[in-house]
Amino acid sequence: MKLTLPALGLAGLLVLAGCGGNLGSDGDSGSTAAYPERAVTLLIGQDAGGSTDLIGRALADPASKDLGQPITVQNRPGANGAVAAKELAAAAPDGYTVMVFVGSLAYITPLAVPADQAVDVNDYEVVTGISQDDFVLIAHPQTGFKTVQDIVAAKRPVKFATTGVGTGSQLTQTLLFAQAGVEATAVPFNGGAPALTAVLGGQVDVAAVQLGEAKEQIEAGKAVPLVTFATQRPSYMPDVPTATEAGFNVPVQQSRAIVAPKGTPAEVVDRLRTAFQKGFAEQAYKDFNTKRLLTANEVDGTALLQQWNGSLQTYRDLVAQHKIDLSAK
Amino acid sequence: MSSVIDGFAVVLEPANLLYCLVGVVIGMLIGVLPGLGPAATIAILLPLTFGLEPVTAVIMLAGIFYGAQYGGTVTSVLLRLPGEASSVVTVFDGHALARQGRAGAALGIAAIGSFVGGTLSIVALTLVAPIVAGFALDFGPPEYTVLALLGIMLVSTISSGGRIRALTAAAVGLLLATVGRDDFTSAERFTFGNLSLADGIDFVPIAMGLFGLGEILYNLEERHRAVQAPTRVTNVWPSRADLRQSSGAIGRGSVIGFVLGILPGGGAVLSSMAAYALEKRRSKHPERFGRGAIEGVAAPETANNAAATSSFIPLLSLGIPANATMAVIFGALLIQGVTPGPQLVTEHPELFWGVVNSMYLGNVLLLIMSIPLLGVFVRILRVRAAVLAPITVLITLVGAYTVNNSVFDIGLVIGFGVLGYLMKKAGFDPGPMVLAFVLGTLLETSLRRSLLLFDDDLTGFLTRPISGTLAVAFLAVILLPLARTLLHRRHPSEPSVPAGGGTESSVPAGGADSSAPVGGADSSVPAGGADSSVPAGGADSSAPVGGADSSVPAGGGADSSVPAAGHAYPFDSAGGEAESSVSAAVRQDGSDSAVGASSGGGFGGRASRQRAAIGDPEAVDPAGTPSGAASDRVTESPRRDNKAEEAE
Amino acid sequence: MTTEPVDDRPPAAGPSTNLIAAVVVIALGGAAVAGAAALGSGPGTWPMIVGVALVLLGLILALQARRAEPPERFTRSSLLVVAAVASMIAYVAVIATIGFEIPTALLAFVWLRFLGRESLRTSIAVSLGIVVVFYALFVGALDVTIPHLF
Repeated sequence: MKLTLPALGLAGLLVLAGCGGNLGSDGDSGSTAAYPERAVTLLIGQDAGGSTDLIGRALADPASKDLGQPITVQNRPGANGAVAAKELAAAAPDGYTVMVFVGSLAYITPLAVPADQAVDVNDYEVVTGISQDDFVLIAHPQTGFKTVQDIVAAKRPVKFATTGVGTGSQLTQTLLFAQAGVEATAVPFNGGAPALTAVLGGQVDVAAVQLGEAKEQIEAGKAVPLVTFATQRPSYMPDVPTATEAGFNVPVQQSRAIVAPKGTPAEVVDRLRTAFQKGFAEQAYKDFNTKRLLTANEVDGTALLQQWNGSLQTYRDLVAQHKIDLSAK
Repeated sequence: MSSVIDGFAVVLEPANLLYCLVGVVIGMLIGVLPGLGPAATIAILLPLTFGLEPVTAVIMLAGIFYGAQYGGTVTSVLLRLPGEASSVVTVFDGHALARQGRAGAALGIAAIGSFVGGTLSIVALTLVAPIVAGFALDFGPPEYTVLALLGIMLVSTISSGGRIRALTAAAVGLLLATVGRDDFTSAERFTFGNLSLADGIDFVPIAMGLFGLGEILYNLEERHRAVQAPTRVTNVWPSRADLRQSSGAIGRGSVIGFVLGILPGGGAVLSSMAAYALEKRRSKHPERFGRGAIEGVAAPETANNAAATSSFIPLLSLGIPANATMAVIFGALLIQGVTPGPQLVTEHPELFWGVVNSMYLGNVLLLIMSIPLLGVFVRILRVRAAVLAPITVLITLVGAYTVNNSVFDIGLVIGFGVLGYLMKKAGFDPGPMVLAFVLGTLLETSLRRSLLLFDDDLTGFLTRPISGTLAVAFLAVILLPLARTLLHRRHPSEPSVPAGGGTESSVPAGGADSSAPVGGADSSVPAGGADSSVPAGGADSSAPVGGADSSVPAGGGADSSVPAAGHAYPFDSAGGEAESSVSAAVRQDGSDSAVGASSGGGFGGRASRQRAAIGDPEAVDPAGTPSGAASDRVTESPRRDNKAEEAE
Repeated sequence: MTTEPVDDRPPAAGPSTNLIAAVVVIALGGAAVAGAAALGSGPGTWPMIVGVALVLLGLILALQARRAEPPERFTRSSLLVVAAVASMIAYVAVIATIGFEIPTALLAFVWLRFLGRESLRTSIAVSLGIVVVFYALFVGALDVTIPHLF
């Protein structure tokens, strides 16, 4: 009696080991004809509640209706999305794991981290672009700054808050102040909310955050918008000049896309794209974009990669030109 | 005020009531399961809220938040598993009470304290939200730095082991907090190339490993000991004496929690620590803390619930989420089409007040629900330890996985479990390590940001009003005992001051502040007897209450007799002293252990005072009160004495 | 510390064991200092401070070693702890490959039967019960992505 149980257990184990890792959480890469047969995981490389997370969730809902299977959102925050990207790369390319990839991870973070930590978006299969998010430079009202020229004229060192190392917030401000010849110190925070708080509280002079995050504060008069960093004035902020108009070459935007692991079959990618496009067309999603001050960028994979690779090259050049080191202390 | 009433009307709608209840229940279940925190749960449940009205959605999410807090308390008390950082402090006395058969009292006081703290916090929020919201903005990196420093200092007060060991554990905790990617430079620190470590170590594996697993492993070795739950649970409810004793703690905890909770990031943990430390310092018998002092549960639980409530303020009034859970609720609101911000009150008053009032409702529901549930929870402890252990272990292991869906985290839990076991054997308390770990990141990042803001000029701390005040208070609190030492040395006429005490003599200055007053040594003892964890009803408790324990505290040792770098531990009350003196007594003269052992918790302190009076050079003398500096404290204590005696 | 009654604790180890603990702390501090130095001035500053503090604290502990409360000795019962840890390591090792159900049942069984000296029936019943409940809870209700077989 005493031996039977362990023996049974051992036998059982051997049988199962023989079956191989047929586990519920991994994918069983069977035929793609019946895709999708089960839930699709949508990885998000940022914390729950942040812009990227909300975008992913807003999209997942209508897209899953079209797919006929649930799309489960899972947050894997860390390193501006590099952790999630690594997990995506290791996942089976069968269409059951996809990710919301932020542009800054592809075209800004590589400028700030060692080469072995940088993630290359070209190593992935891009399903579709989602939307673009513009940055706005805001100042605390007490500083008296209304335009970038005010900052230059003040002739004093400024402190600016960034949302982290390797983010658009850091790049925009670093480039701007380098071009304007302003002595500026970066104070990195962890995300948009703390950076915003720092400006609102007057601990720093200015900060660059995403439009959606700053809108309420601007409307309430707690923050003064100086410039946006889009190539043309976003429809949401018609009264704020762009950096280009102000005479500075800082065309930086945040962008997001859905990507899948390299090697995902073309039919699967197409199916996914169709589903997400159905999501884009939904009124609820459009309203979400409007509320969050996002600009749609629902292009296909090739076009998106062109955009992003182009951006990376542009920024590399700009950073080299102004001798900026994003990773420095 | 009509909007407040409107808010109530909103909340009392049947649908909202129902969703509040659902949220609270889900929250409690989640809180009981370590690993899956409220933020993650809310994220999982977000899709459910899409079909709901914004107010209803937030009401449910807020219910989850509160429920999870309470659930975390339950596991802290019953299983010594702190569900989240703010429950860590509850573990110390909560679990001790559970061991003594008074889990019901602990959980009951926690529920009551949470309710009172939350309610008072809501009232305050209603009255002053817009004012204090601006106050929250004034807290920048310099203020957080000083707060975190104060927090680290509190850590040594809270620990009931020797100070040096507490500080060592805390230092290791600080070191562990540095593991991972540096926010400022993207450099990887101490990750040894491991991707899972690149994001740093999570709170959950450390806390569950050190507290939960470590304890289980330690108890494995002593199977025959009274680790089993007492077969008779003496009282399921807090007694009236418990309530009376805790009332002050609850009141103070509410205030502390409300104030600290408004600060984005770290409010709940700091508030639980601060409330606990305050109670320990104020107590006549601080040595009871860590052994089942009911205030040791009431204070942190009240504080962290008050803080949880006031952490809604930055979100609702400013549109800035104060912690991860708030961020998710923020997201939920956004998806609903509502953008929290300074204009929320004016644009969507029904939402604002609906949420505020729902918090109140959530608190009420929690209290009501805990009535039947308390009996259930307590019964869990009746399960044999041999059966409970593997269940706890498995919950811990699986729970660790759910944090990041990573098997590596399970390995981490085991590693920390082993560490916790070794630490216990060596006499180190895991508490300081965990708490310092939580505060470590805050401290370092705030410090570095502050230096950036001040251009590396440390005096910058003094230029800002809040950080300046706090920094001055901090320095004063470090330097005052030092000053007292020097003054003390010039008055060697005190007979009870040990001659060769060197710098040790300053410690009684600190000690005397909070412990027995000069002439009151005797009068406090019977009160002490009642104060310590003997159940008021006089029923037998199977575990010897404080008696044997106080005579041989594991880590007490003589650590406190050789304070390292001056007396930077102003909050370190005579708790440590009483322990060390008693243990010193035990070591020096074997027969004294009988004295220590046979007396109750309060009596142990008395033995120590006797010992000290005899001039034991090792013993620190809590009764050697310099009449000058501490006289204000002395006059306070007799009043407290009287109150305690009335409680009889 | 926890409230253990005196009589049942394992015998105290010699005072030299305190010294060992102190040495471990010093070594840890030293390693931290070395690591911090390698990191340079920005990221390494804080770890350096903490490392130095650890070394100092370790030194104090070493000085106090003789007088401090000695730690407990390792007894034969400590082997139980070793067994327990080994079981947990085994659990982690296999869970990714064969799911959590079987390792959970086995771990529970081992703990109940061998470490806990429960009867065979209780051990089996509770082990299976745990797996069932965990499954219902984690896979069923919460939909957590723990590796599972069924």
